[in-house]
Amino acid sequence: MMSIYLLMAIGLHGGFELGKAELGLAFNAVLWAIILGFTLPMLGYVLLLFTGKVDRMNAAAIAAHYGSVSAGTFLTAIAYLDNLGVEYESYPLIMLAVMESPAIIVGLLLASWSRQKIAKASSGGQVVIDTDDRSFKEKVFPLLHEALTNGSVVILIGSMTIGAISSHKAMEKLFPFIDEIFMGVLCLFLFEMGMEAGRRIKEFKKVGAVLAIFGLTMPLFGGAAGIIVGHWILDLSVGGVTLVAVLGASASYIAVPPAMRLAIPEANPSFYLTLALGITFPFNVVVGIPLYYYVATIVSA
Amino acid sequence: MHNLAPEKLVTIITTDVLEERLISLVKKCGVSGYTIQRARGGGSSGIQSGMLDIDTNITFHVILPSERLSDLLDGMQELIKRRYNLTVYVADVSVLRADKFSVPLA
Repeated sequence: MMSIYLLMAIGLHGGFELGKAELGLAFNAVLWAIILGFTLPMLGYVLLLFTGKVDRMNAAAIAAHYGSVSAGTFLTAIAYLDNLGVEYESYPLIMLAVMESPAIIVGLLLASWSRQKIAKASSGGQVVIDTDDRSFKEKVFPLLHEALTNGSVVILIGSMTIGAISSHKAMEKLFPFIDEIFMGVLCLFLFEMGMEAGRRIKEFKKVGAVLAIFGLTMPLFGGAAGIIVGHWILDLSVGGVTLVAVLGASASYIAVPPAMRLAIPEANPSFYLTLALGITFPFNVVVGIPLYYYVATIVSA
Repeated sequence: MHNLAPEKLVTIITTDVLEERLISLVKKCGVSGYTIQRARGGGSSGIQSGMLDIDTNITFHVILPSERLSDLLDGMQELIKRRYNLTVYVADVSVLRADKFSVPLA
């Protein structure tokens, strides 16, 4: 319920700001969001396999989380910037909406490819007859459809559209609802997520040191990629660069885990959920956001 | 005197994300209906607390005549082979209105 409210509120605000947006820059932002969405999970996958401690299916599932985004982390970053009085463009918000899904698709494809490799290896190199007689299209399309029409994407894009076509007077009527109580609801949401994260941290031991280190370092790679895209490619302000860094660094813990549970049953949910929610999310909120802001101010100087 | 007929009750306990898959599977088997309940618990997949989408379970109940049981269980085996974690059990039940269970879902 709370995430519906938060996404709707931020979407309405962002959509309203979109009126001042330049179409060219918006298009560029969307393009680079998709590029990040496709390349970050590939980076994560390669890094995980490189450690030698993670099998392909788990690597694919975990990597998908890091290519996607955490709206909760993004909203916390917005609150952080608002607190400092730093302004930001609305392009990162469109990027948020777009970056939810590509990583899921990459995870699916990596898993599919890995399954073939594993099957071939265990049958001694002979061609394997796949007993799952649904066609590739039948297997992938429902998952794709699910990924692209998932709730948060629809709410975000929907409310941005409504914000974009609303008059100032109409928006003003909503401000007590979407503005004044926003911080309070965000606090409740983070509190609830924090409790969940706290529960997951206990599973830390199951995850092992290698994965835990990945959970702390992958966000730094993603954040760096975000800073490069935000500053040198999209030329956004300090606030905008910070937000794009947060998009790159965050890992989804609400939308992607169920998608992976369905698409990659061979992977262990304890791994990807503990990593995304128990390790990366707290890291980003406590250390990451201030760090990315600091780096953003340095590169913008 | 009541007219009770023997049927099979199949109960599946699994993750909530498989709901659509299970529904299409049982429809293909020609069942007359299904019932789903939200569940929480713990087992080989860890603790399913029901707090987030990822760790919510469902119990999925289907009553069907014993002739159709084999098809349904084949479908379950398929899912298990694909590494989904399912708990499936079959019980004998006696039902009122046996004719209700031979009409497949639209």
